[in-house]
Amino acid sequence: MSDKERKHADTFSASRRSFLKGGAAATGALSASLIPGTAEAQLPEATTPDPHRSTIEMRVNGKAYRKEIANRTTLLQFLREDLKLTGTKMGCDRLQCGACTVVLNGRNVYSCTTLALEASAGDVLTIEGLATDDKLHPIQQAFVEHSGYQCGFCTSGQIMSTKVFLDRSPQPTEDQARLALSGNLCRCAAYKRILESVMAASRLLRA
Amino acid sequence: MPQQNAAPGGPLTVVGTRGPNIDAVERVTGRAKYTGDIDLPGMLVARVLRSPHAHARIASIDTSKAEALSGVRAVVTYREAPKVMIWGHRQYALNDRVRFKGEAVAALAAVDPETADKALKLIDVQYEVLPFVLDPEEALKPGAPQLFPDGNLEGPPRILTRGDVEQGLKAADTVIERVYHCPTMWSGSMEPRVAIAQWDGDYLTVWASSQSPFRVHGSLAAMFNLPDGNVRIIASYVGGGFGTKSAPHADEALAAMLARKARLPVKLQYSREEEILDSNTRFQTRMYVRIGVNKDMTLQALHVKAYINQGAYHTRLGGLGNQATHIYRIPNVKTEQYRVHTNIPNTGPTRGVGDPQETFGIESAIDEIANEMGWDPMEFRLKNIKRNGDPIARGGSGTEDGRLVTQVLHRCIEEGAARIDWNRRNNIPGSGSATPKARGIGVACTERGGGGGLAGASVKVNLDGSAHVFYASTDIGTGSRTTLAMIASEVLGIPLANFRTTAGDTEVAPYDNGSHGNRTLQGTGRAVEAAARDCLQQILAAAGPMLNNATPADLEIRDSVVRVKADPSRNVPLRMVMQRRGRSVIGDGGTTAPQTGVDVERTSAAHFVEVEVDKETGKVRILRYVSAHDVGRPINVTIVENQIEGGTIQGLALTQGEELRFDPRTGACLTASFVDLKPPTALDFDPRVIEAVIIPNEGVTGPFGGKGLGENPCHPGMAAVANAIYNALGVRLREVPFTRAKILAALEQRTGVRTA
Repeated sequence: MSDKERKHADTFSASRRSFLKGGAAATGALSASLIPGTAEAQLPEATTPDPHRSTIEMRVNGKAYRKEIANRTTLLQFLREDLKLTGTKMGCDRLQCGACTVVLNGRNVYSCTTLALEASAGDVLTIEGLATDDKLHPIQQAFVEHSGYQCGFCTSGQIMSTKVFLDRSPQPTEDQARLALSGNLCRCAAYKRILESVMAASRLLRA
Repeated sequence: MPQQNAAPGGPLTVVGTRGPNIDAVERVTGRAKYTGDIDLPGMLVARVLRSPHAHARIASIDTSKAEALSGVRAVVTYREAPKVMIWGHRQYALNDRVRFKGEAVAALAAVDPETADKALKLIDVQYEVLPFVLDPEEALKPGAPQLFPDGNLEGPPRILTRGDVEQGLKAADTVIERVYHCPTMWSGSMEPRVAIAQWDGDYLTVWASSQSPFRVHGSLAAMFNLPDGNVRIIASYVGGGFGTKSAPHADEALAAMLARKARLPVKLQYSREEEILDSNTRFQTRMYVRIGVNKDMTLQALHVKAYINQGAYHTRLGGLGNQATHIYRIPNVKTEQYRVHTNIPNTGPTRGVGDPQETFGIESAIDEIANEMGWDPMEFRLKNIKRNGDPIARGGSGTEDGRLVTQVLHRCIEEGAARIDWNRRNNIPGSGSATPKARGIGVACTERGGGGGLAGASVKVNLDGSAHVFYASTDIGTGSRTTLAMIASEVLGIPLANFRTTAGDTEVAPYDNGSHGNRTLQGTGRAVEAAARDCLQQILAAAGPMLNNATPADLEIRDSVVRVKADPSRNVPLRMVMQRRGRSVIGDGGTTAPQTGVDVERTSAAHFVEVEVDKETGKVRILRYVSAHDVGRPINVTIVENQIEGGTIQGLALTQGEELRFDPRTGACLTASFVDLKPPTALDFDPRVIEAVIIPNEGVTGPFGGKGLGENPCHPGMAAVANAIYNALGVRLREVPFTRAKILAALEQRTGVRTA
């Protein structure tokens, strides 16, 4: 049974069969929250928690989340599907292109091959969290001014890698910048302007 | 013609400037919604079952177990596939026979990916495995496995002739004969294919990652037998295309079939591997070239026989033939092309269609014969290239029934040569070889047309004086939203900041052929210009009564103020005109093919590259790369330079990798991942050494003299680098990519052997 189906089934069985009949067959996913208005004390005890699911807590773009997820959920899926933060892109799902780059606890990671569980209790920054109060982050400003993109599909990843890079190396050389962003493919090959954007961003951030 | 803003020859305030794209903020904040970002209530997830065989007939297919799995909402096989070809005339959305390993056999939709993946394994397919063939020339031999009842050769060979090539070769002072090979290469984009389909009764909406929404529209309308008005294709933000998304594909049809059967919206998102294998690829091209010259440095004859591997199906046939005959004056020409089906994945347009492959063959051969004769390859080109007024073929035949206009290839060559400092090059190829790291300089030219096909656009001016451009070609990273809005802004005198654009929506925009083949600017751009002029006339007519009954011819708009040209102090804000009029103004524009009469306008370029080759490791380093391009008048200089720089690196990418290699025993693709294809990162080619040069020019067919550009920068890289490596080492590479192993092998072979 799929996760979604299981949830449906659990709700159904809990409310219509197990619970009303007072049975004790509910699975670990059953909780008070599934049956609004029911006091926890009345619930049958969850006997076998689903080993394939976990509850995680995560800070994303400064906001705290607590969610139950399938253990197999990647950070990319969690961001895009659970939190609807679609600025982070799936380019390969194989750790090979960097379109899914986000910042986790100050490090840039490929979210396609980071489990959401691994990021549990962590602090995640995505492209959506970079601008504040409708004001672009200096890195974004630099990418706008220097046209550091073409189709834009890899851009979120390029910018998040730039963020970590410039946090660590505020006064980089161009070669350091190329190396730091070499994990982010740009098929349009706008590399010249991406490099200019990174260098301009470092100047803006220091100004 | 009525008086207008930005009259031809008049001062321009928007066109020709630099600046960020109008959608830059959306792109850098993650707010731009690409197809895969769209989430619809109840949306199902689709998965495709793919053939494990390179060639097989489906003997039986049983989907009952998959359908019975809880959570599965629809399964489709070739039995449900509409008997209307997707595109061209070879492939249904699903077929009873698979012709490459990875071809779709069945598709299903389920409530989540895990269920869909599980269900795929429950589909029972019995295959009658057939022999397969991977090489185009093998496929033409007697007894070769046949992909189609009418054989493997797709249509009659395309043959262009002029003069008498055999006679010309016989009469020439020197003739060389060479073979050039480009393998099948990856052609995808960062955004893998994705389609979302939703039915509302018999009204179909598909969000597609397409370059050409109306082509998808036409295909799906035919497939489901729907009137045009019952289909809407939306391709708003597209994460790159490069040709793979220029034609309808199986994914849109499969999503629509599944959504209809499941009565729920369906998303079909390709994985990267699926995108590499089942999208389209850059076709393998083997060119047999004979070229003859006279001692007076003139080209006499050229014979090209090319075998093009079209794969199992094609979204576009190989169309070589222009690079030599459009660039050079050659009295005797014959180009023959055999387009051959084999059991490798689909082929189709990839940035330049076949032009990079053809440029590699022709521009290598031109270089080889010049070196053979001891001529300066650049001088040889300058002596033989066509100039304005020279005869040139208008259509697809060899007959030179037209006249070349606005050509500045000679200036591209001269400017490029000056910037790279051509005179530094080794006069004797390979003479830089005394050191472990040898340097050399090479050049290659290219050309292409632009703007073909039907184009349409509309422009709306709102009651507050802001404006909106609607068009159904797309912005695949070429900046068309910006460029098209700049054209309308220039015409209307409304600041660019007051423009919005809707791209790639077939319901709100007029028919347009799409974004491919250098056509968005010269096709859609002309339509936008016409639509904006239509708006302008309507606005000026409405403003007349507010300005002492001035006629439209006496009026103009500047910075959203309608004013009397002769006395700008008599004016009225555009917003007041619009509010007085009480209705939005909608302008309509459309064009057909822009070439008219005998004049033929082409877009050309010359690329110069300096390489350093490490003779011990075979590593090639690009020291300097000058891409000198004719773009007519650039609309947005930043966008043009960005296109040239990126396209140049894409051309260079073909010299180092991106080859799809196939296992001869199984037909399986061995390189279906980024790790294997090795598209360049920021480290592979130093982007700082690439210099985009715009040669000042003004075209006659495009809006404000602009010419389409997107394809060209990708064409010359392979030839320019091969020519530079020859100049450095004295060894000639005729097989792409130029791996270190090939370079080292060629160097070894050179010992005691004369190469050219």
